[in-house]
Amino acid sequence: MREVAIVGVGGMRFGKYADRSIRALGEEACINAIRDAGMKPRDIQLAYAGNLAQWEWGQGLLIGHSVLRELGLTKIPISRVENGCATGSCAFREAWYKVATGACDTALAFGVEQMTVTGSEKILNVFTGRQHAERDGDMGNSAPGLFALMARRHMAEFGTTREQIAMVAVKNRRYGALNPEAQLTDPVTLEEVLNARMICDPLTLPQCCPRGDGAAAVVLSAAGIARRFNSAPVSVAASVQVSGSYSDAGSYTFFDTDVRAAEAAYRMAGLGPGDIDLAEVHDCFSVAELVHYEDLGFCRKGEGGRFVEEGQSGIGGKTPVNTSGGLLSKGHVIGATGISQIVELVRQLRGQAGKRQVEGARVALQHNGGGFIHTDTASCFIHILKN
Amino acid sequence: MFDTMDLLPGEECVSTRSDNRKLIEEGWFRDFGDGLALAGGQCLACGGIFFPEKPVCPNCFDPARKKVPLSRKGKLHTFALSHMGPGGIPTPFVIGFVELPEGIKLFSLITQCEPWDKVLKVGMDVEMVIETIRRDEEGNEIVGYKFRPVPEGNP
Ligand SMILES: [Zn+2]
Repeated sequence: MREVAIVGVGGMRFGKYADRSIRALGEEACINAIRDAGMKPRDIQLAYAGNLAQWEWGQGLLIGHSVLRELGLTKIPISRVENGCATGSCAFREAWYKVATGACDTALAFGVEQMTVTGSEKILNVFTGRQHAERDGDMGNSAPGLFALMARRHMAEFGTTREQIAMVAVKNRRYGALNPEAQLTDPVTLEEVLNARMICDPLTLPQCCPRGDGAAAVVLSAAGIARRFNSAPVSVAASVQVSGSYSDAGSYTFFDTDVRAAEAAYRMAGLGPGDIDLAEVHDCFSVAELVHYEDLGFCRKGEGGRFVEEGQSGIGGKTPVNTSGGLLSKGHVIGATGISQIVELVRQLRGQAGKRQVEGARVALQHNGGGFIHTDTASCFIHILKN
Repeated sequence: MFDTMDLLPGEECVSTRSDNRKLIEEGWFRDFGDGLALAGGQCLACGGIFFPEKPVCPNCFDPARKKVPLSRKGKLHTFALSHMGPGGIPTPFVIGFVELPEGIKLFSLITQCEPWDKVLKVGMDVEMVIETIRRDEEGNEIVGYKFRPVPEGNP
């Protein structure tokens, strides 16, 4: 496979846009990305749209075609993909794969979702159904439940504290306040996080990501032609996708998907966790980020609590994580989340991250977990980017 | 999906259906002679036990299996107090993963454990009870398994 580069990125502020159509949200991010790439729509040969289940909350199929038609991007192959909460990453990886294998020289990947026009119960049902084999959701489980269960086991096994878990939210909201595209831009103190409304003990409201509306887009090209479009292309050093094993073996304090995907990604890039200058990881809940530190090798198993407490996952620390503010600040815009993580990392690698810039960042890791079945994420994507 | 074709000769599906009480999933339970137990599917080729029963053995793809009772006692792997969840279960409620000796982790509501933050400990012994899980939209009681701490003097 040949080397692929990211030549354009486009974001927008995530938020509540009930008065805008999903098409309008997609258009904004795609126009930004194509402009950033210095391209015209005719330069793009293929496109993937990431969208979870918009028809469930009110709008139709063919999201990719409807959005891109408005920009004059027609005739080329356009497909929609879905992979739970990692839907955007799946769109990115499919576009990468097509360029890497030579099926095309340029491609666009974007993700879009409008989550605030629906309710939590509807979303839970879309994920777990009432027909699901294990029916965990039907018996009282939920996304906060799954992560609260992981938090309690981590606390019991490794002595991780409520305070350490809550510090993830404090850190991410601090960076969200520096990101003009974040939904929540007010920082929170540790006391505020600990004393906030309890959602699923030990997780309080600021430790659970909000929903949101928005879109994000990236443009890829074969590395050999990247400088035709952009003077500072970012190279994709690894792209890995795995699915869950759903094993009941072992302690419920790690994601088997993370560990397998990370191993494969480091091997593909010829790098190790120590080479990663910064990362965007799937912090749908505070404790998830803490567990990802361990699974991705940023610290040893069981030391995630200390890692965040010592500031090792903050800017200036060993491996800054979620300088965008993460899902905890941006909100989880399911189809767009994975692409939005990549947009942040490309900006960091270009030195365009403003007040949240990680100085001298050369290598970045993106991690996005998708969906949950029983004790494991259904899918996991990891991308390693280099400049 | 697993109806009479899964039954061994002489066995019958347990039904506790009545007007307003129904099992959450009939195929999950069976009376093996001493009251309702959770019924796993054991692969006749490799011996692996799965719950809920799978259409084929996930280890060896063999369709031949028999229903076996799962242990009523297990260890509380972890727990949490949920202030939100699907409709029909009054909040807050305690959830957990229970690890059975068969190597199976079950998601379960945890019951009879007040005050939960004093009573419950990771790793403690718990046992299965059959109780109402929730009420459905028509007001039916949906009955299923829950786990509770093993009462004193009943190890
Ligand atoms: Zn088998």
